[in-house]
Amino acid sequence: MSKYWILAAILLPVIGGALTPLLPFKKRSQMMIYLEFLMLATSAIVLSLVAHGPMEIFEVIYFVRGLSISFKIDGMTMVFASLVAVLWPLAMLYSFEYMEHEGHEKIFFMFYSMTYGVTLGIAFASDMLSMYFFYELLTLVTVPLVMHTLKREAILASRKYLYYSLGGAAFALVGLVFLLVYGDSLEFVMGGVLNLEKIGDKTNTLLLVYLLAFMGFGVKAAIWPLSSWLPQAGVAPTPVTALLHAVAVVKAGVFAIIRLTYYSFGTEFLRGTWVQVVVMGFAMFSIVYGCSRAVKETHIKRRLAYSTVSNLSYIIFGATIMTPWGMTGALAHMVCHAFMKICSFLCAGAFMHQTGKSYIYEMNGMGRRMPVVFGCFTVSALGLMGVPGLAGFISKWNLAGAAVDSGNVQAYFGIGCLLISALLTAIYMMSIVIRAFFPGKEFDYSTIATVKDPTWKMCLPLLVFAAGVIVLGLFSSPLIAFFRDVAAGIY
Amino acid sequence: MNNSIWIVFAVFFPILCGVAVLLLPVFRERIKLLRATGTVLVVTAVLALLVVCGKEQELLLLQFGENLKLYFHVDGLGRLYAVLVSLVWVLAGIFSFEYMKHEQEEKRYFGFYLIVYGVLLALAFAGNMITFYVFYEIMTLTSLPLVLHTRTRDALMAGMKYLFYSLCGAYMVLLGIYFMNQYAATLDFTAGGSLDMARVSGHEGVLLVIAFFMILGFGVKAGMFPMHAWLPTAHPVAPAPASAVLSGLIVKAGVIGVIRTVYYVIGPEFIRGTWVQTVWLILTLTTVFMGSMLAYRERLLKKRLAYSTVSQASYILFGLALLQPQAMTGSLLHIVFHAIIKSCLFLSAGAIIYRTGKTRVDELTGIGKQMPATIWCYTFASLALVGIPPASGFISKWYLATGSLESGISVFSWLGPVVLLVSALLTAGYLLPITIKGFLPGAGYDYKSLKKLEPAKTMTIPLAILAALAVLLGVIPNPLTAYISGIVSAVL
Repeated sequence: MSKYWILAAILLPVIGGALTPLLPFKKRSQMMIYLEFLMLATSAIVLSLVAHGPMEIFEVIYFVRGLSISFKIDGMTMVFASLVAVLWPLAMLYSFEYMEHEGHEKIFFMFYSMTYGVTLGIAFASDMLSMYFFYELLTLVTVPLVMHTLKREAILASRKYLYYSLGGAAFALVGLVFLLVYGDSLEFVMGGVLNLEKIGDKTNTLLLVYLLAFMGFGVKAAIWPLSSWLPQAGVAPTPVTALLHAVAVVKAGVFAIIRLTYYSFGTEFLRGTWVQVVVMGFAMFSIVYGCSRAVKETHIKRRLAYSTVSNLSYIIFGATIMTPWGMTGALAHMVCHAFMKICSFLCAGAFMHQTGKSYIYEMNGMGRRMPVVFGCFTVSALGLMGVPGLAGFISKWNLAGAAVDSGNVQAYFGIGCLLISALLTAIYMMSIVIRAFFPGKEFDYSTIATVKDPTWKMCLPLLVFAAGVIVLGLFSSPLIAFFRDVAAGIY
Repeated sequence: MNNSIWIVFAVFFPILCGVAVLLLPVFRERIKLLRATGTVLVVTAVLALLVVCGKEQELLLLQFGENLKLYFHVDGLGRLYAVLVSLVWVLAGIFSFEYMKHEQEEKRYFGFYLIVYGVLLALAFAGNMITFYVFYEIMTLTSLPLVLHTRTRDALMAGMKYLFYSLCGAYMVLLGIYFMNQYAATLDFTAGGSLDMARVSGHEGVLLVIAFFMILGFGVKAGMFPMHAWLPTAHPVAPAPASAVLSGLIVKAGVIGVIRTVYYVIGPEFIRGTWVQTVWLILTLTTVFMGSMLAYRERLLKKRLAYSTVSQASYILFGLALLQPQAMTGSLLHIVFHAIIKSCLFLSAGAIIYRTGKTRVDELTGIGKQMPATIWCYTFASLALVGIPPASGFISKWYLATGSLESGISVFSWLGPVVLLVSALLTAGYLLPITIKGFLPGAGYDYKSLKKLEPAKTMTIPLAILAALAVLLGVIPNPLTAYISGIVSAVL
C-alpha cells in the first residue's frame, strides 16, 4: 500500500469528525450510520496498513534538520494501531445508545471521532517529536469529552486532567531536548539512539532526564503519585471512560513509556542502574496502591478507574524489567487489559444507563435482571483476576515469566505485588459479582422488576469483548509469538 | 478408537450437563431434575471407572501458550482420587435428593454439584501443574455457589471468606508455578520431582522459599494453620451434602496439590532436612492439636465436624511432611479413610438437621432413640475416625506413627505420635458424647414424647454404605495398602 494511506487513516476520522456538527442530518439514524461508516473505514485502512504497510519512513512536514513530523510502521505501531482499530468501531456502536439521553451529542461525537485520528497519530509517529506533537494534541481533543456534562465536577475534573497532562508533557519535552543533544537522532530505533561518546561522564544526568521523561509520560499512564486525575475523570460519559480512560489515552502514556525506554534511551543504557530501581519501584507501588483504593471505592466507575491505575502499572512493570521478554509481557497486558477493562466499563455503563444508579450497593440482584450484562461483567472480572483460560492469565504469565527470567530480585518482589493485586482484584470485582447474583435471602426482586438488558447496540460490543477475553485466553500463542518478535526488534 | 478420549468424556460430560441443568428451564420440575442428576452421576461414575481401569494413558487437550498445556495423564494417585471422588459424590448425591427438599433453588444446587464433580475428576487426571492449577481455580469458583447456597447473611460472608482464602492460596501456588516454569525441567508430573539442578544451583535459597509458599498455598484448601480460619466458617453453612463433599473431597484437593508439588515437581530430596521441612512439620502438628481442641469446645455439630476436618487433614499433611515411605502410605490411606468417614459424619448431621432441625450438640439428647440407624452409622464412623482397631482410622494412624518413629528426624519422630495420640483422645471426646447421650439420654428423659424420626431410605442407605466402608476398609486393608505402596515406592 502507498504510504499516503497513513495520512488518510489519521485525517479521515479527524476531518470526518469535525464535519459532524456541520452536516445536515435529517434523522439521528443517518448520523449514526455516517459515524459508524467513518470508524469502520478508518479501521479497515489501519488494519490493511498493518498487514501490508510500507516499511520506509514517511516524512510529512519538515522543520529543520532532524526535526520533522513523520510516520512509519514498526512492531509497536502494529500492536497499538490494530488494538485501537478493533476497539473503536465497537465502542462507537455502544455510545449511540448510551449517548441518546446525554445531550449535545453532535459535539461529543465530533471529539470522540477526532480522538481516534489523533491516537492513530501517536501510534504511527516515527520519532519522538512527532509522537510528542500528537501526544499534546490528544490532551486537547479529549478535554471537551471529560467536560461533556458541564457540571461543576466535570469542569473541575477536566481542568485537573488538563493541568496534569500538560505538566507531564513538559517533563517529556525535557527528555526530547536531551535526546536531541545526546542522541544520534530522534527516531525510534529498537535498542535506543543515545550516543555514548557524546554522553561521556554525564551518565547520571541522562538517567535523571530519563526519570523526568518517564514520569512525564507516566501522567497519562496514571502512575502513582500522578494518578489522581484518572478516577476523577470518571465523570465523563461511559464510552469516554471505557475507551479513552481504559485504553486509548492511558495506553498512549504506556506506549510512550515503552517508546522512551526501548526505542530512545535503550535498555542497555538503563538496565541495572538506580533509575531502573526507582521506576520499577514506582510501578510496583502503583500496582498495589491502585488495587487498594479500588477496594475502598464504592462508586462503580471510580472503582474501575482505580483498577485501571493498578493494571496500567502491570504494563509499566513489564516495561521496566527492561528485557525483551519483559516487553513481551507488557505488550500482552496492554492488549489483554484493553479487552477486559473496556468490557467491564461498558457493563458498568450499561448498568448505569438502564437503572440510573451508579453505586455498588445498588447492584444487588441485578444479575438476574440483566443476565447478558452481568454475564459479560463476570467474564471480565474473572479475566482481571487472572483465572486461567482467560486473557489476564496469559499476560500475567508472561510478566511473571519475564520477572523470574531477569534474575532481578526486585522483580521477584514485583511478582509478589502482581499476586497481591490479583487477590485485591478478586475482592473488588467478585464482591460485585456475588452481590449481583446472590443478593441475600431477604432481597425483594420486585423492587427492580422493570430493569432489563439494553438493546443489541449495547449488548453486541459487550459480547464481542467478553468473547475476546476468552479467545485471548485460550488461543494467544500466535499473538504472544508476534509480541516476542516485536520485542526482539524483528518488526 | 483412542482410549484416552474417555478422559475428556469423564471430565466434560458432567460439566456440560451441569451447565445445561443451570440454563434449561425444563429442569424446574423437580422430578425431571432429580432423574437427570441421577443419570448423569451414574454415567459419569461409570466413565470415570472406565478411565481408571484402563491402562496408563495420556492426552494433550489444548496448548494455550508455550509451556501452557492442558494435559491429562492417568497415574496411580489420580486413579485413587478419582475412585474416591466418584464413590462419595454419587452417595452424597443420592442423599441430596431427599435432603434438598427442604432447601430452595435445587436447580442451582444440582447444576453446580455436577460441574464440581467433573472439575474434581479433571484434578485427579491432571498431568501437569498448569492443568492442575486451572482446574483448582475452577473448583474454587464453581464450589462457591454451594457455600453461598442458603443466601443468608452468614452464608454470604462465609462464601466471601472461602473465596478470598482460597484465592490467596491459589496465588501463592501460582507464584511457585512461575518459578517452577523456569527452574524445573518440565511442569509435567514426574515421580520424584523434575527440578533441573543445573539451573537451580545458586538459587537454592529462593527456591526453598518458593517451595514453602507452594506448600502453604495448597495448605489453605487443606485447612493448614495459619490459613485454616475459612474452613470452620465455610463448610457448615453449605447444605449438609455439600459440606460432606467440601470436607471430604475438596479439602483433599489441596492435599493432592501438596503431594503433586512436593513429590512430583520439586522432589522430596530438595526439601529433606531443610528449614522448609521443619516449619512444615511444626505447622501440621500445631494444626492437628489446635483443630482437635477447637472441635472439642465447639457446640454446633457441623462446625465441630469442620474443626475436626482441620485437624484430620493435617494428619495427612504431617505424614507427607515426614518425607518417609511408610508415613506417606499412612497419609494416602488417611486421605481415603477420612474422606469416607467425614462425609458419613456430615451426612448424619444433615439427616439430623433434616428430620429434627437441631444443630447444637446439647440438643441431641436421646437422638439415638429417635433415629437409631443414623446414629449407628455416625457411631461407626466416629470410632473409625478415633482409630479404634480394627476400624479404618487405626490402620492409617498406625502407618503414620510408625513412619514418624522411623523417620529419624530429631524431636518430631517422637513428638508426632504423641500429638496424634492426644488428638485421637480429643477426637473421641468430641465425637462420642453424641452417641452416648443419644442412646443413653439419662433418667430425666421423657420417653413419652419420643417419635420415630428415621429419614427416608435414600438417606440412610448412603449413610450405611459409607459407615460400612469406614469399618471394612480397616478389617481388610491389604488390597488398598498394597496399591498405595505401589504409588509410594515410585516417588520415595
